[in-house]
Amino acid sequence: MNNFAFLEDPRNDPPKLPVEERRELFREIYKSFDLAGAQLQADRCLHCGNPYCEWKCPVHNYIPNWLQLIVENRIEEAAELSHSTNTLPEICGRICPQDRLCEGACTLNEEYGAVTIGQLEKFITEEAIGRGWQPEKPRVPANGKRVAVVGAGPAGLGCADILNRAGTEVVVYDRYPAVGGLLTFGIPPFKLEKEVVARRATMLADMGIRFELGVEVGRDISLERLLAEYDAVFLGMGTYRAKTGNFPGEDLPGVIKALDYLIGNIGHLMALPDPIHPYQNLVGKRVVVLGGGDTAMDCVRTAIRQGATAVTCAYRRDEANMPGSRREVANAREEGVRFLFNRQPVEILGDASGPTAVRVVQTRLSEPDHRGRRHPEEVPGTDELLPADAVIVAFGFDPSPPSWFTDFGIALDAAGRVVTNERFQTSHPHIFAGGDMRRGSDLVVTAVDEGRRAAEGILDFLGV
Amino acid sequence: MSLYSPDFEKDSCGFGLIAQMDNRASHAIVATAVQSLARLTHRGAVAADGKSGDGCGLLVQMPREFFRAILAENGCSLPSDFGVAQVFLPRDEQRIAEFQARLAAEAADLGLRVLHWRAVRTDESVCGREALRTLPAVWQGFLSLPTDSEPAAQERLLYRLRRRLEKHYVQDREIFIVSCSSQVIGYKGMVMPEHLPDFYPDLRDERFHSALVTYHQRFSTNTWPEWRLCQPFRILAHNGELNTVQGNRIWARARESLLHSELLPMAEVLPAVGDGSDSFSLDNMLELLVQGGMDFFKALRLLVPPAWHNVPRMDPRLRAFYEYQSMRMEPWDGPAGLVLNTGRIAACALDRNGLRPARYVITRDRIINIASEVGVFDYDHRDLLVQGRVGPGQMIAVDLASGEFLDSKAIDARIQGSSPYGDWLRAYARHLEVEEDQEVVATPVEDLLTAEKAFGVSFEEEDQIIRVLAEGGQEAVGSMGDDTPIAVLSRQPRHLADYFRQQFAQVTNPPIDPLREALVMSLNTAIGAESNLFEERPEYARRLEVHSPVLSDAAFTALLQQTDPAFRSQTLDLCFAASGRLEDAVHDLRAAAVAAVREGTVILVLSDANLAPDRLYIPALMAVGAVHHALIDAGLRSRCNLVIATAHARDPHHFATLIGYGATAVYPYLAYAIVRSLKERHAFSQPVTLSQALKNYRKGIDKGLYKILSKMGISTLASYRSSQLFEALGLAREVVDLCFPGTPSRIGGAGFAALEADLRRLMADAYKARKGLPLGGLLKYVNGGEYHAYHPEVVRSLQAAARSGRYEDYKAFAQLVNDRPVTNLRDLLAIRPGRAIPLHEVEPIEAITPRFDTAAMSLGALSPEAHEALAIAMNTIGGRSNSGEGGEDPARYHDRRVSKIKQIASGRFGVTPEYAVNAEELQIKIAQGAKPGEGGQLPGHKVSGIIARLRYAKEGVALISPPPHHDIYSIEDLAQLIFDLKQVNPGAFVSVKLVSEAGVGTVAAGVAKAYADRITIAGYDGGTGASPLTSVKYAGAPWELGLAETQITLRRNQLRHRVRLQADGGFKTGLDVVKGALLGAESFGFGTAPMIVLGCKYLRICHLNNCATGVATQDEKLRKHFVGLPEMVIHYFRFVAEEVREILASLGLRRFDELVGQSQYLEIQKGTTPKQEALDLRPLLANADLVDGDAQICTEPRNPPFDRGELAERILKDAAPAIDKRIATRLHYRIDNTQRSIGARLAGEIARRYGNAGLPEGCLELDFQGTAGQSFGAFLVPGVTLNLRGDANDYVGKAMHGGRIVIAPPAGVSYASEASAIIGNTCLYGATGGVLYAAGRAGERFAVRNSGATAVIEGAGDHACEYMTGGQVVILGPIGLNFGAGMTGGLAFVYDPRQRFPDQVNGELINSHRIDTEAMRGYEALLRRHVENHVQWTQSSYAAALLADWSNFLSDVWLVVPKAARLDVLLEEAS
Repeated sequence: MNNFAFLEDPRNDPPKLPVEERRELFREIYKSFDLAGAQLQADRCLHCGNPYCEWKCPVHNYIPNWLQLIVENRIEEAAELSHSTNTLPEICGRICPQDRLCEGACTLNEEYGAVTIGQLEKFITEEAIGRGWQPEKPRVPANGKRVAVVGAGPAGLGCADILNRAGTEVVVYDRYPAVGGLLTFGIPPFKLEKEVVARRATMLADMGIRFELGVEVGRDISLERLLAEYDAVFLGMGTYRAKTGNFPGEDLPGVIKALDYLIGNIGHLMALPDPIHPYQNLVGKRVVVLGGGDTAMDCVRTAIRQGATAVTCAYRRDEANMPGSRREVANAREEGVRFLFNRQPVEILGDASGPTAVRVVQTRLSEPDHRGRRHPEEVPGTDELLPADAVIVAFGFDPSPPSWFTDFGIALDAAGRVVTNERFQTSHPHIFAGGDMRRGSDLVVTAVDEGRRAAEGILDFLGV
Repeated sequence: MSLYSPDFEKDSCGFGLIAQMDNRASHAIVATAVQSLARLTHRGAVAADGKSGDGCGLLVQMPREFFRAILAENGCSLPSDFGVAQVFLPRDEQRIAEFQARLAAEAADLGLRVLHWRAVRTDESVCGREALRTLPAVWQGFLSLPTDSEPAAQERLLYRLRRRLEKHYVQDREIFIVSCSSQVIGYKGMVMPEHLPDFYPDLRDERFHSALVTYHQRFSTNTWPEWRLCQPFRILAHNGELNTVQGNRIWARARESLLHSELLPMAEVLPAVGDGSDSFSLDNMLELLVQGGMDFFKALRLLVPPAWHNVPRMDPRLRAFYEYQSMRMEPWDGPAGLVLNTGRIAACALDRNGLRPARYVITRDRIINIASEVGVFDYDHRDLLVQGRVGPGQMIAVDLASGEFLDSKAIDARIQGSSPYGDWLRAYARHLEVEEDQEVVATPVEDLLTAEKAFGVSFEEEDQIIRVLAEGGQEAVGSMGDDTPIAVLSRQPRHLADYFRQQFAQVTNPPIDPLREALVMSLNTAIGAESNLFEERPEYARRLEVHSPVLSDAAFTALLQQTDPAFRSQTLDLCFAASGRLEDAVHDLRAAAVAAVREGTVILVLSDANLAPDRLYIPALMAVGAVHHALIDAGLRSRCNLVIATAHARDPHHFATLIGYGATAVYPYLAYAIVRSLKERHAFSQPVTLSQALKNYRKGIDKGLYKILSKMGISTLASYRSSQLFEALGLAREVVDLCFPGTPSRIGGAGFAALEADLRRLMADAYKARKGLPLGGLLKYVNGGEYHAYHPEVVRSLQAAARSGRYEDYKAFAQLVNDRPVTNLRDLLAIRPGRAIPLHEVEPIEAITPRFDTAAMSLGALSPEAHEALAIAMNTIGGRSNSGEGGEDPARYHDRRVSKIKQIASGRFGVTPEYAVNAEELQIKIAQGAKPGEGGQLPGHKVSGIIARLRYAKEGVALISPPPHHDIYSIEDLAQLIFDLKQVNPGAFVSVKLVSEAGVGTVAAGVAKAYADRITIAGYDGGTGASPLTSVKYAGAPWELGLAETQITLRRNQLRHRVRLQADGGFKTGLDVVKGALLGAESFGFGTAPMIVLGCKYLRICHLNNCATGVATQDEKLRKHFVGLPEMVIHYFRFVAEEVREILASLGLRRFDELVGQSQYLEIQKGTTPKQEALDLRPLLANADLVDGDAQICTEPRNPPFDRGELAERILKDAAPAIDKRIATRLHYRIDNTQRSIGARLAGEIARRYGNAGLPEGCLELDFQGTAGQSFGAFLVPGVTLNLRGDANDYVGKAMHGGRIVIAPPAGVSYASEASAIIGNTCLYGATGGVLYAAGRAGERFAVRNSGATAVIEGAGDHACEYMTGGQVVILGPIGLNFGAGMTGGLAFVYDPRQRFPDQVNGELINSHRIDTEAMRGYEALLRRHVENHVQWTQSSYAAALLADWSNFLSDVWLVVPKAARLDVLLEEAS
């Protein structure tokens, strides 16, 4: 262990694929660390008395501890430790906006460059699996309880993982034909290859979780039946209703909702066409993407790979206030995306054949409000037109609770989110909920966290 | 209801004896004793009225003729043999008569007769206020004695008489029998020593003759001392403090049932050991042993043995004596200088560490005078035959009947030959050291995870504590402080040991350095039943011995497999059915233990290994305390040993608590299982085998135990066992009374129900398979773990506020802190709202910020950038920064980067005259909150060029700070150091930094009486640059307790107006400050907060030098990343002051002073957990109810010493022309031992003008005749020579920087210089330059931490050149043990004609060379020059003879150099 590694060795990410290659491929752009490289980077950790990384991490990963285990080449233990707080560590390692979370909080971040936590998190599981490690099947004797989990996305998987480890019989239902929810169908493969999700699904199944795929609760099986057959039900169904900008032209053909676009593309790549989300190929088009979150980044980079001639991202705040991960913005820029900041879209021009342009107006940021957040204000007389053959709207998602929730007395708040107590129990005592549908659209890792904590709530409720 | 308790009283003092060795009684002996006592006045305490001392007294060989004459005047004649009962009685005729009748009746029952009652004449006009309040009537009862019995038998009758009366009047504190003897009589009182003969005119009567007097003067830590506690007692007078007295008293009681003596009806005299004071109890015990028939010398050596376990070349017969006795009684351990008087035997003995000075002279008239100092009566040196000193562990005596002088060797010879102890040991004693076999597991743990959860082990503990111990045999080191709640405030189940804070030595006795002074330490543990002390039989040697109380699997197995019924064992289960209650289980266990021992069990094993899902367990600590006390109560304790097989012992503190409450040995089966599992999981980062790992773990625990013992100043585990040296913090009365009786627990707290609930919580999760091992969070913040006061959000928001400079941002931070979950005791105290006034009416920010200091943080701990930024900020706002230990760059003295507070710490690094005079305040750091009672080490890699320069050390060489200040072993020593500092810099405040613990208030009272101007009370939560983790967690109490206790104690003792109070520890916001003020503080120390303001992120890696924020590192590259600015600190402190103003306004107060001590503005909040609710915080607020107390704040500008230093002032005046004009001047003076710190005053004035450069060589020469008081030549500067003909006391040349001190006997003396003690202990402590020539021997610790002085002396005591980092020392005569321990720099020559040096040297860090090769010529020349200079300056005929026989001399000289040094470089530097 070298106490001065952080001074001597700069922060390094593993190498990325060359841009030319990336622009055409729906493959992950980051290579993996080798052991020595990982150890060098892990050794940069200072083991702070206040582990800011862990504090900032939504699942509070024991980051300094597993970094130490990497240095000591105790990779299997690192993998165990990593799995003790996170159901999907190799996935979070790939897709979390670490620069806003652990790495952003890292003591070294400002002066020296943060420890490469995300890539090391990915490394641990990859390396451990490479060495033949598998998550252990629960050693706990079966506790005799059965729980149904609705939704095989991050929240559902997190919940199922904990329940299963505690000896509970878990069945996960999902309307899609594959495990992962948006992990599989929403996140483009250049960030997260589908084999990774599939491998995780296999591991979870091997650990004893049963998946009922292509089964939509409320359509193929009733919640009533689940309640009858199981001791508790967990709902982790996500948020799917796209937010709109409420300006003219949003309903023009060729104005695409971000998620529809991403899901359609992935369905096409996976050869699992989805009639609800058809494949939309933007080859040869001028594409304008509205929004500044990670979904917007996924869209611009997908469009580049599809062969769009020009891809522009317009966002209403400045770059510093963009919610998306800085790393993804940088990657998008490298791949040829043009960013226009401080642009508020006010209208999409076009006709039945599709959009022709987006009218945007410049903004400036207001003084910080009481929470320190600065809001964009329009600057009058600064209109401009962005020519566009396709417009993707990526303003985020609102809850999309099915109408039958009310039949079971599942209370919702004004925004449509499921209301629960601190145990994640809804107003129906046997129904628990977590993830985006409870807290609103958020990160994968927060959904995992919710699912896991909800599982603890269920176990407490069941007296396990 | 207040935190003050008389139990915490401490005392120290001056003491001595005088005897005419041929038993020729005279009044002169008595008069000389009184004079000597008066000459020790500066070692006692004096009240402002100049009358009220803390008490003094004489124990005088019975002046038979005087009494005969006096009684004859009243027409009463005395027989040839008679006894006198000297009694303090209430001033009430009726009660006096009642007592006299009672005495007469008891006497008659014993066949004695009262001949006469005499009311002793006393003069109360010499008494001060307190003395008068409790003034007794003094009566003498004259008793007839049976003429047909031996004197010893007569004494025994008188002893029995006294015991009967004492037992009868045990509740009556107004009746006290000073002495009751036919051989000696005590005269004592609460008056100043010179007034003792005024108070007792008897003592002035020329007919009052004696051949032997012992005398004593007390320095109590409070001003309510009692007449009865004045010394001497019935045999001894004690200067010191017995750290283990609580354990000794407990064992004394436990052994009572085994005591039988033909000579003494035990039922009549037991219980013989009373409380009162530690010294009093020791006197009681000694008296019981002697009266019961034990040989006087054996008895004393049994009670206060020398170090013997690790002493090389001790006579095997003597070692056998001590080994045999070691199982019969534990040492009464702690600093002890004892003088003893039986009327026939005069004796003096020192404890093993020699922590009290005792010097003696024998005159031509065969008068011997032994005292704390030399020169306490007037004599001509030419009349002296012997000038000696008593060394550590030594005892000397005079038998007046034979006139024989017995030195230590003679006494050893007497006792070692009295029985064939060695044969007995060989026949009966066995060692239980068993070959380690890693396959043997005495108690396997089937399901490790479950056991870990059940007993509260976390991943953190496994990884950070146990793994580190097993890997390296060392405790883990960490930095920063403990910012978690104390156990009772926590929301989590905590280990029961977390409720116990280790007591530690501060001021009244020193901690020990267990690493460098290992020879006095021992963990040796004997197993087996005890026996009657009054008999010595071979079979009483029957025992099993182990070198450590931490049992291996093999040792535990072997212990239980003993077939000898003398070691019959039985195991009691600590687990019980979960349907039961914890409290009932404890009661059941007590009963079972008593039954088992009654049936003959000798080894009682308490085991918690038998856990199951439906069972709970009694925490081992609770069990051991409860069983220990149950067995004592049943009179069975000394018949058995308690061996604890527990999952609850993992870190050293866990072991220490178990042993401290009575465990003989501990078998930590779960810790072993964890070590095994770590090995199986390949979790060690070091290559260790399993058996090494287990050994390492035990070694680490052993070291930790040494550390814990030594921080209390205790040397042997036997003494520590059941000494209960803990404060319970947050335990209910019911728990303490049943399991830990006698332990202070001042605020109540968790009861059995709450502790049981915690156990149930742990057990609920333990058997839940889905619950993994908790990650922990006690050391570092972990989500979901323990709350941390500096958690990430607190750090972030504080830094944001300091950077932005916006008060709103500060308020966000303050809200986060002020509204946190209950973490500190103050969080349960709210401010009672008052009638608000407008904010503008409150005094301005600028009036408040001068109350803020930054806590001591050294350059070394902090980077220069951070250190200077703090200084600039504090100087800007009128506050003060603190240099910390390690000096300060003189370039900073005269600009805004100066640290106004300069610290004086145990290493004395960088403490020079110029440093001292450039301070507004000199702070003596007695202890620091993070690791009270421990020393420190600055590793070599942190000793950069600048640090080395400032500390007078070498770059890259490690520097050791000893645990104690070697010139503060007692309160009178502290008074002396304060006096030194006030002499060198009369303008500076002298402050003393203490750490909160039970009794700190009484220590503070003593400090106030030692003339400190300010006292800082630091909380347990103070920070550190590096400390063992368990030290950070387990020692020191919250400052709220210490501060409240100090405020009320000072006010009760009329001392508060003389001294300022500061609080320190975890201060963050204005609300903290206001609460501190309401509890009594006038000013505040901030450590961590300003560091964080400057960019520190609380990384807890300070000890690694890799601080990424550039705050706590010396690394050039990292320092570039330091982003702190003084403005940030200024912002922060102004914000705090503004918040204080807002609170003042809300209370309707305009000035800060109106807050101080006004605890009625605080109200107790309801706790947020059952444990918090059970706390009783009313004692914290008791100050508000104290009527008739002293002021709430300091009203005096200074606390000036009683001693005006008149000689020093005269010298300064005489030397003024020399200083002003720098012209050569020579002056002459007589000097005696009351003239102290001579040279310091002068040196300070010179340093003020000319800095450390001083005067031109030879400019000022001062000649002295006589005996110099302590600290002769302290802080001396270049250009000044002190030339003393006579001798000197302790601390010669302390902190000397230049100049020359020459001490030699006057011409014409008859004693040989090389055989005589000419200077005392701890000379040249922290010297940075100058030369000392002394024609004679020095005491203990010569040249300790010397870093630049050159010295030639003719012999030295133990521990010479300890921690030395520079300079040159030549010793031309015998030395003591442990030479050169911790010596990392400089060089020494030792003349060793008797070839004993190899046994005396501590070779850990030094090499010894002969000077017999060509390559050593340079060293030979250097030595020759030193010896020639010595002869030239001292005219020593002894040294001259050595010079004359140079080649023979040279062949017996050792050159001693640090291992790290290169011989050629060293020589070049030295020459």
